[in-house]
Amino acid sequence: MPDRKMFWRIIRRLLSANRGRLFVILLALAAGAAITAALLNLQVDAKRRLTTEFRTLGANVVIAPAESGTPESAQFLNDSLFADLSEGMDTSSIPKAEFLYGIVKVAKTPDVSAQSSARLPVTKDQNSGASRDVILAGFAYSGNRPEQVLSPVLVAATQKMVETNIPICDAGERAAAALKLRTGDTVALMNGSKKITCQVQTLPSVGSAEDSQIFLDLRAAQALLDQPGRISLIQLSVPGRPREIQDRIASLRRLPGVDVRPIRQFTEGEAKIYDRISGILSATVALVLVLTALCVMAAMTNVAMERRNDVGLMKAIGGATRRVLRLFVAEAALLGLTGGLLGGAAGILISIWLGKQVFGVSAQPRLIVYPVAVALTIIVAIAGAYPLRRLANIRPAAVFRGEG
Amino acid sequence: MFIRLVADSFSRRPRHKLLTGAALALGMAVATAALSVSLDVGDRLAREFRSLGANLVVTPQADSLPLEIGGVDYRPVNAGAYLPESDLGKLKTIFWRNNIVALAPALEISDQVTSHSHGDKPGGDGNSWGRVPLIGTWVSHTLSLADGTNWQTGVDRTNPWWTITKGGWFTDGTAECVVGKNLARKHGAWVGGHFLPGLPVGDNLIVNLHADGTPLSLKIVGILDTGGPEDDAVIVPLATAQAIAGRPGAYRQLYVSALTKPEDDFGRRDPSTLAPADYDRWFCTPYISSIALQIRQVLPGADVRVIRRVADGEGAILTRVRTLLWLVTFASLLAAALAVGASSAASVIERRTEIGLMKALGAGSGTVGFLLAAEQLLLAFVGGGLGYALGILLARFVGQKIFGVAPGFSFLVLAVTIGLAAIVTLLGSAIPLRRASRYEPAPILRGE
Repeated sequence: MPDRKMFWRIIRRLLSANRGRLFVILLALAAGAAITAALLNLQVDAKRRLTTEFRTLGANVVIAPAESGTPESAQFLNDSLFADLSEGMDTSSIPKAEFLYGIVKVAKTPDVSAQSSARLPVTKDQNSGASRDVILAGFAYSGNRPEQVLSPVLVAATQKMVETNIPICDAGERAAAALKLRTGDTVALMNGSKKITCQVQTLPSVGSAEDSQIFLDLRAAQALLDQPGRISLIQLSVPGRPREIQDRIASLRRLPGVDVRPIRQFTEGEAKIYDRISGILSATVALVLVLTALCVMAAMTNVAMERRNDVGLMKAIGGATRRVLRLFVAEAALLGLTGGLLGGAAGILISIWLGKQVFGVSAQPRLIVYPVAVALTIIVAIAGAYPLRRLANIRPAAVFRGEG
Repeated sequence: MFIRLVADSFSRRPRHKLLTGAALALGMAVATAALSVSLDVGDRLAREFRSLGANLVVTPQADSLPLEIGGVDYRPVNAGAYLPESDLGKLKTIFWRNNIVALAPALEISDQVTSHSHGDKPGGDGNSWGRVPLIGTWVSHTLSLADGTNWQTGVDRTNPWWTITKGGWFTDGTAECVVGKNLARKHGAWVGGHFLPGLPVGDNLIVNLHADGTPLSLKIVGILDTGGPEDDAVIVPLATAQAIAGRPGAYRQLYVSALTKPEDDFGRRDPSTLAPADYDRWFCTPYISSIALQIRQVLPGADVRVIRRVADGEGAILTRVRTLLWLVTFASLLAAALAVGASSAASVIERRTEIGLMKALGAGSGTVGFLLAAEQLLLAFVGGGLGYALGILLARFVGQKIFGVAPGFSFLVLAVTIGLAAIVTLLGSAIPLRRASRYEPAPILRGE
């Protein structure tokens, strides 16, 4: 095929003859590709990371008994439900916590060391010995990153309790203030004839109902409240995009006898904010692509001006307009390919670095981004070669006469 | 002569100048749009985050320990402390008053409730619900402020995810109520001896008044969906709840939704340890903790706590998103600069013959450079100005599309756009100009 051979020979000559100019175009394309690839990668990654970031808001789904009750006739869930969720293939890694609530009486037990040194009979101190009603929350957790559904202090306390085997009860900030409890105190929690003594650890203020509760390990709380194997509710922190969260809620709803409630405050707020941010990112990527096309178009206009003589000659010796144009489109595509390959790789490296700057974790390179960026660059290069179309109108005679 | 040369260059090749100018204008338009959207986006997003609800909660300092399970307080009405409703206007007098987006006081009680269908005779056998939590609060309540203006606020602004699925919200100061969706689903209406599940809007609820035992009739005007414990409660106007509890002008909890700056290391420091100058800076920054302190100063006897879950989550996400958006803006500015630079470089390279001729006629490299630079600058100002106008339109479109609100005017954007246009065109022209100044006129004129 001498025709094809000739085609490529001309392309080679075109590329080598205009080296400076083509270098500018290549640079523009590569830079455009780099920015596009970086933004695309960051966009894919940032959206995913944002959904992770949103989980700092905490639990977004609550599983409660289908029938809600009052403290006098409270309804419970079975403990086994939580175990099932923890062992389920697709729900095991979701951070989740189970709670059992009940009202207990709390009394501060006098300091053992003070009592023994003074050797006085124990008198009922109105301030510290009087028992007060308080909400007891028995808790247990499972899944990765339980601090998303539970105060980190509680998570640490459970681990400590496993190590030392001393029961720890964690008092919310308001509960601790009302009962005058400090970390290290011992209190007695009483429910009827049942009683448990534990060591107090105070929690920082969180500004919600948890501030006025006392937390205890679930098994101990179940024993104290005489509700073995029962829990009041389960909180889950379901990760993912708003759509994925909705799907997960729908699949959880199939569990019998439970009421699965998305905490709409967070699921809806999240969905709204997520839409906004991904909208901005997508808009920016589109803008950058337009700019790259503009850049290439400017450079190509220039090339077109210079090629007038070449095109005139080609036409004069019998080159059809179509074939001549095909040459230039091939040239542009080749430039786009080279620019895209170089720039795309650079862009992905940039995005890894940027991801580290923004989210503290380097963005994972998405392989799909690379071919997409290269393809986009080639399209942009061909679109940018539009000014070369003007060459089709060149009349060889006019060129050779030196007319503009 | 100089001006004539420049004018001539523009009039002789208008198409060329138009092309370069258009590229410049387009590039600058994108830069303007990106810049004005991202300047605006921080505030917009902060406002968007308020859809997560209140980030401050105010409770009486002298309060007894709440016995709250599932968001409902089971303490008797006479236990615990209350705060006066009349003080709430003071919240709009603090330093960061404009950052307080919404507030809603709440008074929670539980009482015997009986529902009555429309047709029932008052006092006839209703459908008793037993004890049901009643939450008194504000909805679109008009608060008269000290400066004479009126301010509308209420739970519909602090908790935008509370939606009325049927009917509408009650009007302040009327004997109306809204029923949570779970309650409404559980209780139906008895019509002609048959039970119909689902509570019809328009029925009446009878609530026993604590103070003197006379029952109070409330008209159900809507069904509420909150996804929270309020789904099992009846929401009434605050004044009604106060009347039932026999506590006129009192509330137990106040939810405040405030626009804040994410807490940084400085914001997390204990204000009592700060030096006076630092304290002023801390006080005059809308950190959540400084707004909490300012509210505590105007509400005596109140304990203001930060809802950590909302405030911390918001802070973390907002900080990251802001950084991300600035990087993205920077990238698009870079791309715009590249596009404009390339097109201005192209426009100089085109004019080799002209440069050769000028030099042949005795113009020095400096004069030629100066002439071309002046032309490019003129183009930059015209193109940049046009691009700015175009970019503002683009920014309005993008802002409208994403946030529903167009970004406001910012002088900074105009200055940056024109400045960037000038710098980038000059830089873009500088490299070919330098090469042009080394041209030998003879070969160029010969056409080589």
